[in-house]
Amino acid sequence: MRRVAPLAWLLPLLGALALFSLLPGRAGWLLPWRLTGHDAELARLILWELRLPRLLLALLVGAALGLAGAVLQGLTRNPLAEPGLIGASAGASLGAVIAIYSGLGAAFALAMPLLGLAGALLGTLLTLALGGGGTLSLILAGAAVSGMLLAGTALVLNLAPNPYAAYEISHWMLGSLADRSWDQLGLATPFVLLGMAMLLGTGPSLDALSLGELQAASLGVQLPALRRRVVVGTALAVGAATAVTGTIGFIGLLAPHLVRGAVGHAPRRVLLPAALMGALLLLVADLVARLLPLAQELQLGVLTGLTGSPFFLWLVWRMQRESP
Amino acid sequence: MPLSRLCLVVLCLCCAAAAPAAAPPRRIVSLNFCTDQLLLALVPPERIASLTWLARTDGDAAQRALAARLPANRGSAEEVLALHPDLVLAGRYTTAITRALLKRTGAAMLEVDAAQDWEGIRRTTREVAAAVGATARGEVLLAHMDAALAAAAALRVADPVRVIGWNGAAADVPGADTLFDTILRTAGAVNIAARPGAAASFDLEQVVRARPRVLLRGTSYAGARTLRAGVADHPVLRALPDIAIIDYPEGAWACGVPAAADYALDLARRLRALPAVGRTP
Repeated sequence: MRRVAPLAWLLPLLGALALFSLLPGRAGWLLPWRLTGHDAELARLILWELRLPRLLLALLVGAALGLAGAVLQGLTRNPLAEPGLIGASAGASLGAVIAIYSGLGAAFALAMPLLGLAGALLGTLLTLALGGGGTLSLILAGAAVSGMLLAGTALVLNLAPNPYAAYEISHWMLGSLADRSWDQLGLATPFVLLGMAMLLGTGPSLDALSLGELQAASLGVQLPALRRRVVVGTALAVGAATAVTGTIGFIGLLAPHLVRGAVGHAPRRVLLPAALMGALLLLVADLVARLLPLAQELQLGVLTGLTGSPFFLWLVWRMQRESP
Repeated sequence: MPLSRLCLVVLCLCCAAAAPAAAPPRRIVSLNFCTDQLLLALVPPERIASLTWLARTDGDAAQRALAARLPANRGSAEEVLALHPDLVLAGRYTTAITRALLKRTGAAMLEVDAAQDWEGIRRTTREVAAAVGATARGEVLLAHMDAALAAAAALRVADPVRVIGWNGAAADVPGADTLFDTILRTAGAVNIAARPGAAASFDLEQVVRARPRVLLRGTSYAGARTLRAGVADHPVLRALPDIAIIDYPEGAWACGVPAAADYALDLARRLRALPAVGRTP
């Protein structure tokens, strides 16, 4: 029963918030009882063409980030691992930016998610190859790889004949769900779902791995195969998601930690709740971004960064105290 | 040659350079996209030493082609000094470091205001025309502008058309006190983003909510692919009833030059040609 408990409150909360999130927006509150005639037609368009794809994208991307974070933390046995910290998000940004600004994306719509996941693959592989030594070396390698890939993103934007480069860089570094369309959702969804399916299947192996690499091997876990599966799954899920939304940090870090208290530390039990928690976190962040009465909507990364960074620091601080 | 005589020669040369220029400047550099446009309209290309790189990418096609054959600059101080200009045209806001350096070296420089209305355009055009020694050409341009303005006024529809200028970026909607707004009013339109109490930024939802009759979609910089262009192409815009989407070169529309009157005249024609929209379906 312990395993069901967190799902029991997460799902209804997620559902209620998802429904609520359709009401507010910069065009005003869409209150069903106030819509008549002309307004109803407009409201239908806003609801159907703008807010619904935005909601679904928040759920999909949040779940992908939360799940990828949980799996990466399980694989690396490192509580600080998450897609944004190991270069997957930055690589995906670079891939998507190349697709958009070279015109490939306009000529061939699938180029954007495909290059996004290729970039995520590159970033993840580089980080895991360079930072295999331990907790700290993984994080340092991830920071270096992310820095390099983000510099690549900025370089592509600067080289493109694009006078708005400076503005658009902020999108790729801070992420946004605003003004997305069904087309973009449709392009990303198959890849994200495939990646998530691959990641969800790693649960038993991750459980065995939590006992140690030798023990896992003796239990029949093939570590190289597991690594490949996690890397490819993360690249598919996070790469395709980031190609549409830009880099959204910290969701993958926070979500697994927030559910661990309720489900325990066995990686397998964390996966699904972490995905739900990720969806919830991104939905809440997007709601706050929309509800704050500012002249301009906040980029999502501002909110996830403001809440995620202190948590990250607290995790580092706690790790140092536990294993000096 | 004795040193004193050399000094004398140098001094005389300096005097000659500093004397009231009977000859107009022949190596003019422009550091601003809008002064590029003015310069191209006022003087023959052989008197232009350099234009900004943006002049190759935006604006009138003939001027773009002309600019492509001239050296381009990105406004850095070193570039400009290396060109040995006898006159530098600059805007008031950009290339601040370069302008400060040029002032210290004593180079001839004219900082041109960004005109936001027709009176401002008359003033800056005359100012630049006088500086480059093309006063007569400047008056020809202004006469053409006045003719276009008169033609636009004659075409203006009685009931102003609701228009918004949008390029996909929420924060980049031209509001009141812009040349865009001036062009719209001249052409018989009302700028939704310029009305009192209008939002400071418009995301897609707000554009839909504002119900523009015409969405002037800013396309910029020929060939540049941008994220915002993808947003400006969102399917919800095509699904809106009674909306006409007209692309316009937003870079060129931001420049207070006489040619802006042609944009107003063209828009007035397009607004007049819009089919009437019934109030009932």
